[in-house]
Amino acid sequence: MKTAKPVSTRQVASQAGASWGVRRGLTPLLFVGPAVIFVIVIMVYPVFRGVWLSLHESNPFTGTTRFVGLGQFIDLFGAPAFRSSLRQSLILVAGTVVIGMLVAIGFAMVLDRAPLGRLWRTVILVPWLISGVAVATIWRALFSPTGGFADTVTSALGLERIVWFGKPGTAMFVIIMINVWSISPFSTLIIYTGLKTVSLDLYEAASIDGASPLAKFWHVTLPSIRPQFAIALVFLSFAAFNSFETILLTTGGGPARSTEVLAVVLFRKGFEQLDFNSAAAVMVVLLVINLVLSVSYVKLFGADEST
Amino acid sequence: MKRPRMRNRRLGIWIPLTLVVLWAATPLVWALSASFKTRSEFAKTPPLFFPENPTIEAYQKVLGDGGFWTFARNSLLIAVVATVVTVAVSTIAAYGFARYAFKWRHVLLLVILLPRLVPRISLIVPVYDLMRGLGLLNTQFTLMVVYIGMAIPLATWIMIGFVGGIPRELDEAARVDGATSWGVFQRIILPLAIPGLLTISVLAFREAWNEFPFALALTNSPDVRTLPYQLFLFKDTLGILDVGLIQGFTILSIIPILIIYIVFEKHVVAGLTAGAVK
Repeated sequence: MKTAKPVSTRQVASQAGASWGVRRGLTPLLFVGPAVIFVIVIMVYPVFRGVWLSLHESNPFTGTTRFVGLGQFIDLFGAPAFRSSLRQSLILVAGTVVIGMLVAIGFAMVLDRAPLGRLWRTVILVPWLISGVAVATIWRALFSPTGGFADTVTSALGLERIVWFGKPGTAMFVIIMINVWSISPFSTLIIYTGLKTVSLDLYEAASIDGASPLAKFWHVTLPSIRPQFAIALVFLSFAAFNSFETILLTTGGGPARSTEVLAVVLFRKGFEQLDFNSAAAVMVVLLVINLVLSVSYVKLFGADEST
Repeated sequence: MKRPRMRNRRLGIWIPLTLVVLWAATPLVWALSASFKTRSEFAKTPPLFFPENPTIEAYQKVLGDGGFWTFARNSLLIAVVATVVTVAVSTIAAYGFARYAFKWRHVLLLVILLPRLVPRISLIVPVYDLMRGLGLLNTQFTLMVVYIGMAIPLATWIMIGFVGGIPRELDEAARVDGATSWGVFQRIILPLAIPGLLTISVLAFREAWNEFPFALALTNSPDVRTLPYQLFLFKDTLGILDVGLIQGFTILSIIPILIIYIVFEKHVVAGLTAGAVK
């Protein structure tokens, strides 16, 4: 660039070839600063603010706030409705993760072997691209008691009509299916990119040893895609905890609060009952569960550094 | 990159492939088909999959209503600004993290990356509380800032992977020619990181274009309303659900993100392979 510029010590250092560990000063801070500020304001500060809120209680009449320690959490876990929501959340996440991973691995293996791979890869990713509200709107209509696609299928099969969102079991089942449909495509893509890296030599060696297809999958494919497996799993789990509009627009948390998961409880407490302190306590519960799960996923399935 | 071992399995692949594509496509095709049905066709038992008398009435109604264009403009403005700022800020930050050693580097890197462990929906109450305190509720600016802040951790992580993959010797050569830090970024890093830029652009645009819970919490007036918010409101505001109209609106709202994805598909998949999966 401009060579006439006075040469700073920093440039001298870099011209000497020592680009790592020598440059000091404001330059790198200017580069990373904007990103750090955005993240602190939008994510880091809110986490601390949320924790603070969860340890306090406000009185809407006097406008005063007092420290209550773990009082909000004791109230939460003392309420049967909350314990049931916690259970429903775990069912939703476990269902989404288990079925989602089976679908992701199965679909990725099909795509990996299919002709016109790129075309199908794009088609199967569409459900993940579109908004959660669009997903929920489409599935609500699919399972609508009047003129839905599910009715077309059940009547074609000669089965009795099912009111899918009317019973707790079927409502949760449909919501898990919606999650799998809309979230797992991204996991499929991740697994698919992992399959592309599996060494063909390993398959050949396994074939020579007379390994069955199942043995090849278990001893060659799975260990080779371990990092992608872990990422796909963590992604599914996070996305499942974030499911909000899929529930709000289909069951609204019903029937009988059977699909009222933590995200919905959090929103209702915060914006319908206007109890920010209790909502913040739900936030902390969500955070802790996700942290514990992330750590265990990485421990269980994380990339093995030694290989 | 044809794999020889696949050839003999080609025939047997079509059945599972059909099932995979049917699973992904059926709900979308159904929604598309519903958007062309007449109102009376929804009342038929058993329900029809394809309309007998296709009509574009739903699209005429949606597009003829000024509201749709306002909401589409709002969504587009918010998504474009959020994407541009996210990409700019994350790429420059990735350059700083990948190429410089400085005081607090590890701490700041953790500040950027640890929030990836936070489920976004959980922050809705404190973020609302913050924006209310700042008097910034019900503005497009607020949604932009929130989407930028939430997109940066992943975008920066992916870009660090990309910038780290660019040989350091190129930086050195440019510096010998007298380039400043910013000059190296502009002339060396930026052109070589374009696949990464496209990846994080598509991801950031998708997030901002589709986002709903924060829009619901932080805005309420029609002049700042986004498309997903309006689609959500259809549930309550129409006395009788006009399924055709709603599906038409749904289809129209997903077309822009589909186009963007299809145009950049190759880069996004390559980018995710190279950057995110590390």
